[in-house]
Amino acid sequence: MSSSNDAPLSPRSQLALCCFEELLDCAVADVASECHRIARLGLDRSVDAEEEELRVWAARAAAGAEHHHPGGGGAAEEAGAGAGSKGGVDVFGQTHPAIAADVIKCMNCGRPVVAGRFAPHLEKCMGKGRKARAKITRSSTAGRTRSSNGITASSYSPYSNAANTNRVNVPNGVTDGGCGTGGDHSSHVP
Amino acid sequence: MSTPSAPPPCPHLAAHRLSSRPLRFLRRCLRVRPLGRPEIRRDPRELPRCSPCAAASPSPSPRLYACLSCAAVFCPSHAASHASASAGPGHQIAVDVDRAELFCAACGDQVYDPDFDHAVFLAQSSSLLPSTSSTSPSPTPRKRRRVDYRAWAPDPAEFALMSSADPTTSASAAAPAGLRGLNNLGNTCFMNSVLQALLHAPPLRNYFLGDRHNRFLCPRRTPVRHRAAEADATKLACLACDLDEIYSAAFSGERMPYSPAKFLYSWWQHASNLASYEQQDAHEFFISILDHIHENIKDDQHKSHAQGHGDCCIAHRVFSGILRSDVTCTSCGFTSTTFEPCMDISLDLDVGDNTPFGVANTKPHVRNGERGLAGMNSKVSTLMRCLERFTRAERLDAEQKFFCERCGERQESLKQMSIRRLPLVSCFHIKRFEHSAVKKVSRKVDHCLQFPFSLDMAPYLSSSILRSRYGNRIFPAEASDADAVSELSSEFEIFAVITHSGKLEAGHYVTYLRLNNHWYKCDDAWVTRVEEHTVRTSQAYMLFYVQKTLYYKACERAAAV
Repeated sequence: MSSSNDAPLSPRSQLALCCFEELLDCAVADVASECHRIARLGLDRSVDAEEEELRVWAARAAAGAEHHHPGGGGAAEEAGAGAGSKGGVDVFGQTHPAIAADVIKCMNCGRPVVAGRFAPHLEKCMGKGRKARAKITRSSTAGRTRSSNGITASSYSPYSNAANTNRVNVPNGVTDGGCGTGGDHSSHVP
Repeated sequence: MSTPSAPPPCPHLAAHRLSSRPLRFLRRCLRVRPLGRPEIRRDPRELPRCSPCAAASPSPSPRLYACLSCAAVFCPSHAASHASASAGPGHQIAVDVDRAELFCAACGDQVYDPDFDHAVFLAQSSSLLPSTSSTSPSPTPRKRRRVDYRAWAPDPAEFALMSSADPTTSASAAAPAGLRGLNNLGNTCFMNSVLQALLHAPPLRNYFLGDRHNRFLCPRRTPVRHRAAEADATKLACLACDLDEIYSAAFSGERMPYSPAKFLYSWWQHASNLASYEQQDAHEFFISILDHIHENIKDDQHKSHAQGHGDCCIAHRVFSGILRSDVTCTSCGFTSTTFEPCMDISLDLDVGDNTPFGVANTKPHVRNGERGLAGMNSKVSTLMRCLERFTRAERLDAEQKFFCERCGERQESLKQMSIRRLPLVSCFHIKRFEHSAVKKVSRKVDHCLQFPFSLDMAPYLSSSILRSRYGNRIFPAEASDADAVSELSSEFEIFAVITHSGKLEAGHYVTYLRLNNHWYKCDDAWVTRVEEHTVRTSQAYMLFYVQKTLYYKACERAAAV
């Protein structure tokens, strides 16, 4: 489309321009009419609430962030403070070690196990592990296909090779794939 | 947001209504095209023009009105003169030829009339038949069985029992009841975070604390056979019983962290594909345990409509809602509707895509306002926008043509989701983990999500979506689809937020709980009190809202729970 400063438009260009303007006017009028109806019929009350909510959120988020850590990341710092809580206490005034020290009696083999190491013990004990991953249950697919709007559902899989960095001090790739030796899990202690 | 209400008519409209036939009779003048607006019927060759304009210049005006009294056509600039100059009264009201909206030439503004809207609605619905009458049999929302009210007062023995109760079991000034840390058993923060949210979901909490599933009396626990086969072991493990035990432990008043070892063991017996010592996805875990609870305690008599009605088990009773999916043929307008039960709603996190060119962009001014006043970059998404996007009409890919019954062939189509029935507890799952099968990479979307503490789900209900599809016309309730009737309110209050921090491969889940209008952070064994802004700035992964009628809000006295 040539700019309006150029030489007079050819009749065809004029026609095209006319068409475009009419379509544009029509579209604008459509939107105006719809919005007018929504406003008049009182259907937009939630808009103000939403705006207000966003304003409050922005204000509080900014205020909080400044107040607590100049320049730091809010969530991360809080997470750090909560987790190891170096020197801090919880809401009941207690402190807890990094690895839960409770002793639990394993319901599979009957041996006493430290709570913080219960999961790796149980995995070996039950003979489960990576190799037992073949089937996808109904539950894992049921939750995914709904709101995909025609696009193939994204699928999740459990995340592997993980070390839970905030908690137990265990290196990566720790599992032996359930070799069932009921092994010596003290080898996991770094 | 509520149903549209007709504003009081301007004096000209009121006068017109008194003097002329009801506007309903204009129905025969209307024509509705598939997926189009209702408009005034005209011959195919006929081109309405504004007579005064035509004299002045040949170009047609984009907006034309037809006088209801004399059918003269004019453009907005000549409307007022027609109203005043024409002979006889009643020429003030006209109708927009292309949009079927009433216009008062004397006021110079669009006006609304329920009768006329009713006519438009009838025209639209009759053009869409048979879809509105032959939708796939929807599970009509059966009225939930109500129990007759019987007054009750404690007898002396019960009274004595209550008085003698250990004060630490009830809420104390220090912390609300049921607040207790959960030990991490080795990469089990995904489990702890979900358990904390479930522990404080009011309907679920009330169910278990109300002894509705007693782990000592559960039939599944009674060993029927003595073989040690794993199949039988699975039968013996009842997740609902283990959950009952966790509730008892959490509300016992004991404050030292609890180790949900038995629950983990039972869950691994059920979900062997997920049974391994490594980090898991909290949402996947959530769906998994709800499913297994259903398997454990479902009432087999209700199998046929089990999931939709939620009478089969407590998991469905609390979390199950119904989603409505409408697929509309773009060529003839025929709509095919299906209903499916859902336990939660997974939402895409729309990042930076804050240009809402949905089918009904109703708030352009607010968008600009938000961008300006938030002062933030486009990385801020809001839950409401995600829900809007979820319920937006989307054009399906050309490859996925839908077979239209009316056309008899595959056509391009639009798909729109809406919520037919809300659950007691709405769980929103924010899709932060993206897996691209093509690029073979997975990544986490870190963007912040703003979410309200009080949420009104009305705009996302099927009734609202349908109404806006029909142009937000005012029509009497009985003329509308049965979807318009909803028993429960649509207002929700947040009570738990599960957040994820860190990377996709190595991250940490934490739950924030809202009890007595204070926020508590549950980080495995560590429970601390936090301020609102911490919650607001966290990376929400799963959000739990409960119907407002079930939520006791802002009790400053810590004793109330």
